[in-house]
Amino acid sequence: MKEELKLKRLVKSIWVFNWFNSCGVTELLPMVGSRWDMERFGMILVDSPRHADCLIIGGYQTEKSMVRVKRIYEQMPEPRVVVALGSCTMSGGMYWDSYNTIKKLEDYMPVDLYIPGCPPRPEAVFQGVYEIMKENGGVKDE
Amino acid sequence: MSKEKALVEKIERKFGVKGKAERKRIWINIRKENMIDLCRYLKELGFEHLSAISVTDFIKRGKYELVYVVWSYHDNIAIIVKSEIEREKPVISSVTEIWKESAQIHERELHELFGVEFEGNADLSELFLENWKESPPFRKDFNWREYVGKKYYYKQDEKEKIYLEAGI
Repeated sequence: MKEELKLKRLVKSIWVFNWFNSCGVTELLPMVGSRWDMERFGMILVDSPRHADCLIIGGYQTEKSMVRVKRIYEQMPEPRVVVALGSCTMSGGMYWDSYNTIKKLEDYMPVDLYIPGCPPRPEAVFQGVYEIMKENGGVKDE
Repeated sequence: MSKEKALVEKIERKFGVKGKAERKRIWINIRKENMIDLCRYLKELGFEHLSAISVTDFIKRGKYELVYVVWSYHDNIAIIVKSEIEREKPVISSVTEIWKESAQIHERELHELFGVEFEGNADLSELFLENWKESPPFRKDFNWREYVGKKYYYKQDEKEKIYLEAGI
């Protein structure tokens, strides 16, 4: 059987906790809605970081919000994954010379994956999450 | 005579200031000593909603201009009260006793971003900035590019500092 025709099986569903303080959340909402529907991949938004496997950080962080992010991150159980969304988390984006925003998120906390884009498409987010599942043994060949 | 023209004449007579009225808007420039009395008078007239307080930094004249926008639901008129204070010693009396909570959050913000002291405001603690030790960031003599370079680019993103230097 050809490699690309093999079915892939998800062995774990990813529960997501969102942390946004910029336009990221409005751009990611379609992912939860019916058109892209992230629940068909087992991804659910959870209310508490203690239940989450994946922390999605959308958009720029400030000096003030970084304290809160670290607190959320420390509450999450192992194994945990941090996905940084958008170009703001990589370089500061359009706030590259602002006095108050974090320029590179990885200088402050561990980041597993950056998803570029301003904003990223929902497909890109799915692909990013898929890569993470593959990396952590969450996808098996059938 | 329209409602706002009558109102501005009433205020002009009472406080000895010059005002301008036009299409449901009234502009009044007033000295900072009389500002609090005028605000108290406006509240009595039914201007119960304080929409915004803002500060403009006129660095060449050495002044801050404070702008209070108040609104009357009864008359549907906005009054824009402007008052100038010294830039180096920005002190003005607080309007929290008049408009309570809606004034409180604006004054707290302006205290943080411009360093304006509002006398009589009970809580002027930090709002957006935590552990800020520099001069207030919205002052025009605050060199934010230099600050950003010192804080982020020269410490963390060495290879990206060319963009910052190109910006200067």
